[in-house]
Amino acid sequence: MKTRNEEKHVSFLGLAVRCALMAVATLPLDAYADDDAAALKQPTNSIEAGTLYSSQNSARFGQYNGLNDSGFYGLGGFDVRGGDGYDSSKDSALRWKLGGSNLGTTSRALDGSVSDQGNWKINLGYDELQHNITNSYQTPLQGGGGNNLTLPTNFGSTINTKTGLNSTQLGDFHTEQEYVNRKNGSVSTSYTFSPSLSAQIDYNHLDQSGGKLIGTGSQGGITIPGKTTGKAEGNNIIMNPTSYQTDNVNAALNWRGDKGHLTGGYYGSMFHDDYNSLSWQSPVTSAASPCTGTNCYTNNTMSTAPSNTLHQANLTGGYNFTSATKLAGGFSYGYNSQNSAYAPTNIQQVNLQPGGTLYSNMMQAGGLPASSLNGVVETKHGDLKLTNQSIKDLTLSAGLKYNERVNLTSSNTYNYVNIGSSGVGTNGYYTGINTPYSNSKTQYEAAAAYRLTKAQNVNLAYEHESVKRWCDTVVGGAQCVSSPSSEEDKIALTYRLKMIDDVNFNAGYTFSDRRADTAAFLANAGNYASTTAISSSALNAGNFLGFVAYPYASRVENMTKAGFTWQATQKLDVGVNGRYAYDNYDATLGVQNGRSTGVNVDANYNYAENSSVSAYWNWQNGLRNLSSGATGNGTAAYTPSQITTPMNIWTNQLQDNSNTVGLLTRRDGLFNNKLELIGDLSYALDTTGYLTQTPYSPTCGSGASLTCGSLSPISNEIISLKLTGNYKVHKNGKLSLTYMYQKLNSNDYYYNGQQFGTTPTALIPTGLQPQSYAVNVVALSYNHSF
Amino acid sequence: MNELIKIIMLCGLFVASAHAENAATPAGKAPAKSPAQMIDKDSECTRCHDENDKTPILTIYQTAHGNKADTRTPSCQSCHGESLKHLSSKSNAPDVIFGSKKGAYSPNAVNDQNTACLTCHEKDPKRTHWQGGAHQAANLACTSCHVAHTPHDKVREKPTQAQVCYTCHQDQKAQANKFSHHPIPEGKIACSDCHNPHGSAGPKLLVKNTVTETCYTCHAEKRGPFLWEHQPATEDCTICHTPHGSNITPLLKSRPPFMCDECHDGPHASKNPVAGNAAGAQGGITGNPSSSYTGRACMNCHSMVHGSNDPAGALLQR
Repeated sequence: MKTRNEEKHVSFLGLAVRCALMAVATLPLDAYADDDAAALKQPTNSIEAGTLYSSQNSARFGQYNGLNDSGFYGLGGFDVRGGDGYDSSKDSALRWKLGGSNLGTTSRALDGSVSDQGNWKINLGYDELQHNITNSYQTPLQGGGGNNLTLPTNFGSTINTKTGLNSTQLGDFHTEQEYVNRKNGSVSTSYTFSPSLSAQIDYNHLDQSGGKLIGTGSQGGITIPGKTTGKAEGNNIIMNPTSYQTDNVNAALNWRGDKGHLTGGYYGSMFHDDYNSLSWQSPVTSAASPCTGTNCYTNNTMSTAPSNTLHQANLTGGYNFTSATKLAGGFSYGYNSQNSAYAPTNIQQVNLQPGGTLYSNMMQAGGLPASSLNGVVETKHGDLKLTNQSIKDLTLSAGLKYNERVNLTSSNTYNYVNIGSSGVGTNGYYTGINTPYSNSKTQYEAAAAYRLTKAQNVNLAYEHESVKRWCDTVVGGAQCVSSPSSEEDKIALTYRLKMIDDVNFNAGYTFSDRRADTAAFLANAGNYASTTAISSSALNAGNFLGFVAYPYASRVENMTKAGFTWQATQKLDVGVNGRYAYDNYDATLGVQNGRSTGVNVDANYNYAENSSVSAYWNWQNGLRNLSSGATGNGTAAYTPSQITTPMNIWTNQLQDNSNTVGLLTRRDGLFNNKLELIGDLSYALDTTGYLTQTPYSPTCGSGASLTCGSLSPISNEIISLKLTGNYKVHKNGKLSLTYMYQKLNSNDYYYNGQQFGTTPTALIPTGLQPQSYAVNVVALSYNHSF
Repeated sequence: MNELIKIIMLCGLFVASAHAENAATPAGKAPAKSPAQMIDKDSECTRCHDENDKTPILTIYQTAHGNKADTRTPSCQSCHGESLKHLSSKSNAPDVIFGSKKGAYSPNAVNDQNTACLTCHEKDPKRTHWQGGAHQAANLACTSCHVAHTPHDKVREKPTQAQVCYTCHQDQKAQANKFSHHPIPEGKIACSDCHNPHGSAGPKLLVKNTVTETCYTCHAEKRGPFLWEHQPATEDCTICHTPHGSNITPLLKSRPPFMCDECHDGPHASKNPVAGNAAGAQGGITGNPSSSYTGRACMNCHSMVHGSNDPAGALLQR
């Protein structure tokens, strides 16, 4: 085989004679064929307009497609291309393109480009996406979309949100639609200085607006009228405003030589949040109160996503020592900083109880070392890979990768009023020490691919991964990370066989062994307060002996996969493949093991030109077993030596099951080649279940506790049918009629505890509903091509 | 850090030796041909492979490979070989036949097919890691994904790209249609927004060097650094999330409190067994449901799981 990429040199005279002969020989045919041939060489432009009707309001159905409301939508789209670059009679490589899609919905997109191919190119793009989250959320809070959510003045306080909301309070609940609108604008340009040097700059501006729901716990210990205090950890699911702008810049200078190429680049990402805090009012009190008016509420504040920047320098390239020996690699250095002002820390006390404790500031004296973090993280990356194909049928490769994240942020002590404060004495104080995490990962890999015969290939790969975790400076020198290091070896073997001409078979096996240092494992190391015991600082730090979090535990993993494809005839293809993985964790408590299985079967029958039927089935199953320890004693551990042995062991099993079947068909050439029919039918059922066993508790299944047994599975069943008919009304015009029916049956216990009358006693109901829907969509559009 | 220094030194050595080896190899330039001349050159093929071909060969002139005024543009024979035997008799196959299925002729070995493409495309920055990458090791041909002769190559257009990837990645196809998913089926995100199928230095062919870096390209609000970090969030988003789709929103591997229990066994609620009590009164519990187990469970209070920047937020509550 010889591939040539150089110009074929032909003399002018020879060329002229040959052209003349060819022209004479083909002239009569060309006279008929010119139009068709020219049409194939020229771009086909199109413009589409129409309307669509959707039958139901559903945030879930319209999650990303813009069809969240019932009613009519406009359909619009176009694709127009042109330029002298399509005309071979002109010595110009100039081409341009304009496109638009989904113009009548919030999923619209527009793009355009113009290029002098080989010299320069400019792209412009605009893309919109409204992520619809829910349209059933109810709240008494006002001010959605902003960062200060307030209760109506007539709401008053409540001691029991489950049964204690009065008619006035219930009347204050209203529905808020939650969504995030992403508007993305981009410009990219490239310029070729010479065949060996080019440059490219991409700029992207993302604007996000709207809000998402977030859980909150209210501040305890604040005195309010009626001789009571605000309820600690009173829960309110509130609207967290999304008012973000992100600017991304990618710039690169590319050099390519005869044997090597190199790219130096800059990546910048500037994220800005218009807010640095979110405030809300909570009406939940720890005791009954006759309070009325705004003085009844506690005012709470939490942080939002802080503005931050990343500047990254990148260098990548490759070098071919010979045609058989090649080196590729890259380096990068990133500087990520964040210095957004902290959220306000004053608790806006409005009415003081005489003699009571006043927390006019959430932070205690000396407990706020700075007004912002001045956080810095450096990231470093390096990789090299050498490949060699000197020996016939054998490809060898060896590589090294290194990634490091070093958090250079200072560690300080923050003393503040804990959310669960009782408001008495120092019981509510919390001493927090921030622990800036750093980690590194080094990977060595080697692989060999050998073609045993023309029909057989075998690949063997080995990888070693070394992970380190640390904190550079932590006040008091405490251990900060859960597990300081791990070493992992992985070996993978893949075999491929072309059994007969039309049957391909493949099988693979992977084994990996991770050995982690968990001798002093602390599940809540990040909250580790101090090397000196402070009772209230040990909250959430009570670890039991033998417990290891699964991402940091020693683990052995076995994975197998196999599959085949069969081209039974020129018209019929069949494929079957499956995989099985089993993980076993070396931990007395924590995740014990897990497995996942998957099977895919698909077949495709092309019974005529441009007409086909295909069917597929996918089954996925997963299981995870967890052991943990219930209260053994009440002692919290805040150093490894204080870890206790749990007395009561319970287990939990996660079961995931997923089945998807589908049938697609396309029939072209009907009604004298004017009609095309497309059908797409699919059914999917996903279930997630949990089974908990508590052998030490004979009463665990009673209604009073229900801490053992199966939990009603989370189930989502989706049926979808889409039928499309495309009818050519004339040579350049096509009428499309689409009908779609989609139904979701969603059963999820998640919503139970948020309904009016069935919430926990300190959780404000949201009335959020399961997102089942049954939507009929009809669309009619006309597509004109020219 | 020592490893990084070693890599830099090693690379410097390679580059220096490479430069010495190739110090003086200025490529001589052939005089550029006009577009008409280039078209004429193709006519050796297109006099037979014309508008009547079953596969529309001529539409390649609508693609970048058919823009003849660009001096880099290939001719038919640049990719398919000189094919002299084929030119003399169509019973002989062209030198290079692309694809995987047997048609009129048998396709060439994958390596030979790819060589034809990589002759020009190997030195593109996005293909730096092709050699030894997952798709090269799996013996994939460029034409397993790309159709060179069409102006609308499915894999290069966002709304249709996933269909091509799903041909092999069928588990991901099923996952992408689950209750919670990225907007891939809706055509608003393409697989290549996160993955570089031509090879990368990151895991799973990710476009960036790490999982977190890749996710932050769209989710920059999670980048921080935060005052109070959550260790797994700084290391790998996939410890909690499954990016291709989940039965549990938002793309979670499991549901709190069970997911939290996999890493936490503190004296607060994570030490306690949970079953039907997470389903509240509707699940059969006769007492008051607990906000530690129902709904968002742990995240009813500890909602700042990606990190908190509140000086009073050490427990990720504010």
